[in-house]
Amino acid sequence: MKKKMNRRTFLKYSAAVGATTAIAGVPTLLRAQAPEIKIASIQPVTGVLSDIGISMRRGNQMAVDDINAKGGIKSMGGAKLRLLLGDSEAKEDVARSEAERVIKDGATCLVGPFLSGNAMTIATLCEQRGVPFVMDVAAADDITRKGFKYTFRVFATTSKFADSMLFYMDKIMKEKNISKIRGVVTNTGDLFGRVQGATFIKALKDKKFPIEVLGHIEYPLGIQDLSAEISKIKALKPDVLFPVARPGDAKLMIRELYKQRVELQGIISPGSPGWYEPEFIRDMKALADFVMDNVPWYNPVGKMYKEVNSAFSKKFPGKYIDTNSGYAYLGVLVIADALERAKSTKPDDIVAALKKTYFKQDLMVGLAVSFDERGDNVNADTAMIQIIGQSIKVVLPEKAAEAKYIHPMPKQIWDRGV
Amino acid sequence: MDLNLILQLTTSGFLLGGVYSLIALGLSLIFGVMKVINFAHGAMLVWGMYIAFTLMNWTGIDPFFSFAVSAACLFVLGYIVQRTVVNRIMTFHESMQVIAMVGVMMVLENMAQLIWGPDPHSPHTKYSLSTVWLGSVMIDIPRLLAFILAILIAAAVFVFLKYTDIGKSIRASADNRIGALIVGANVNKVYAVCFGVGAACVGAAGSLLVPLMPVSPHTGFPFKLTSFAIVILGGMGSLPGAMIGGLMIGVAESLGTVFIPSSLKQVISFGIMVLILLLRPKGLFGGKG
Repeated sequence: MKKKMNRRTFLKYSAAVGATTAIAGVPTLLRAQAPEIKIASIQPVTGVLSDIGISMRRGNQMAVDDINAKGGIKSMGGAKLRLLLGDSEAKEDVARSEAERVIKDGATCLVGPFLSGNAMTIATLCEQRGVPFVMDVAAADDITRKGFKYTFRVFATTSKFADSMLFYMDKIMKEKNISKIRGVVTNTGDLFGRVQGATFIKALKDKKFPIEVLGHIEYPLGIQDLSAEISKIKALKPDVLFPVARPGDAKLMIRELYKQRVELQGIISPGSPGWYEPEFIRDMKALADFVMDNVPWYNPVGKMYKEVNSAFSKKFPGKYIDTNSGYAYLGVLVIADALERAKSTKPDDIVAALKKTYFKQDLMVGLAVSFDERGDNVNADTAMIQIIGQSIKVVLPEKAAEAKYIHPMPKQIWDRGV
Repeated sequence: MDLNLILQLTTSGFLLGGVYSLIALGLSLIFGVMKVINFAHGAMLVWGMYIAFTLMNWTGIDPFFSFAVSAACLFVLGYIVQRTVVNRIMTFHESMQVIAMVGVMMVLENMAQLIWGPDPHSPHTKYSLSTVWLGSVMIDIPRLLAFILAILIAAAVFVFLKYTDIGKSIRASADNRIGALIVGANVNKVYAVCFGVGAACVGAAGSLLVPLMPVSPHTGFPFKLTSFAIVILGGMGSLPGAMIGGLMIGVAESLGTVFIPSSLKQVISFGIMVLILLLRPKGLFGGKG
């Protein structure tokens, strides 16, 4: 006789299935779930530097995904990292409020924020709240000179930029038999731009370096017209322009130099974005050639670089790992390494582990990441890159060089048949 | 002092001032008629830029021709914004109006970032790098063309306001809203058209700027600030004031870089604005205090 499924029978079976699941299934699922560790990325994802901010967030997120794919933080039972996202809008006050929010949401460590001014506000807050903060990109020396205990910097400092720049310029001048260069320094008016420009000029004066600064021109971040500034540069008749720029104004500058026919031997940045992003070369084409930039660049022969860059370019067509996305990736790896050794999410344990960091990497130029008593990465280094044939090449140091640098520029910007 | 430098800066500033004028004209028109400050003006400029940029990429049409398309699209956008947002807040206190208009700005800016991405684009047109030299002074061809077109567009707006029925209604509504209502003007429609025309001006200006500067979602912000200073200098709601003010601020900002650091460039326009507010609050061409 066939038994009918009535309402009472259905409820009975449902209850049995439910109870079985409750007793056996759910704990199994819970047991399988690894704990989760929240870290937070704060980058300028909207606002005047959103292109860089998005690139950096992508670097942070890809590092988190890669760590999780490789089993998470193994010393903590394979705990997975979860990236909380914050947007500073390139504003100090927003950076602080976003940091406050992610700390409230349970972030055990913060990473970011590209802008030195933003980094200063976040570092101050993290010190008050006792939360570790790893700066992936932010160069102003002052940030780590406040005696902060919870702040670490993977990136190079502005002093490091200046030292490397002088080292490379010395080499170029000696090899090309140039006894003196008359230059103009330009920079954006944000904290990084100001500090970077001023530190370079101070280093030249302190070391009595044979580069005479004819003029120092500072303009606001997000400027839309550089015609007046370029007219002033032209009137000063420099040999070399030393610009500290951002993506938008780098393009404006090149176009104005072209239009106003400013004669130069070279454009050599003491270290700044604007010159190496894919969009700069895409839009400027031959005008971009021969620009040099002293930046913490990727290591072109590094195994890690090749793997990460390949995955990055595949995931984001038309993009490649550059200074910003590369250091964003590295910043998260350093945090994961500290968590692995700390075996804890307690802030003081993470800080203790960060202090003992010796993270071997060949993603960026420079040796293993290791912090000094201030929290600066003692091994962060820069390379001199140059755009040659509309492609970026490392030209110095020689051990990492992909091509020989070209100086002076063989053709003026306005004489390249564009 | 280097005379060539002074001449060069004056020329560059004057030519860019023409585009400033067109941007400020739209802002002044909207304020003059509706007494609403369009905080989304900079974001609308960006939309004008992106429409011209997209057309250029898809069809190859030069931004100096496609400004009419940008203007038409922005007219529609302005009309919709007026009917859906501005019309509801016109009787509110200014501080509440600001919140709504900043909201519109944020929506427009972030929509632009979602659609076109965050990267700045500097499209290459046939003459974006062209120049002519008058002795040692360089005249930037795209800047000159932008100036000429901006002045022509502004003249067309003056003709529209002076000689068309809807233009007369706009001026009537600006002078006396109740009076315009009594004589049968459809004030709601007039306001929407007026907002649309103001947005079209800034849309056209956006198109004219494409060969001159990188297109990015946040390009509009400094222009918005400058156009506020221009409108106050020229007189709130005064269209000739916006035109003259734009040229004056253009030259002052450019020449000012000789005397003060470029990083303080905006101090010039805001300094002029503060001086005007102190000495002549109605502006150079304002009718009422």
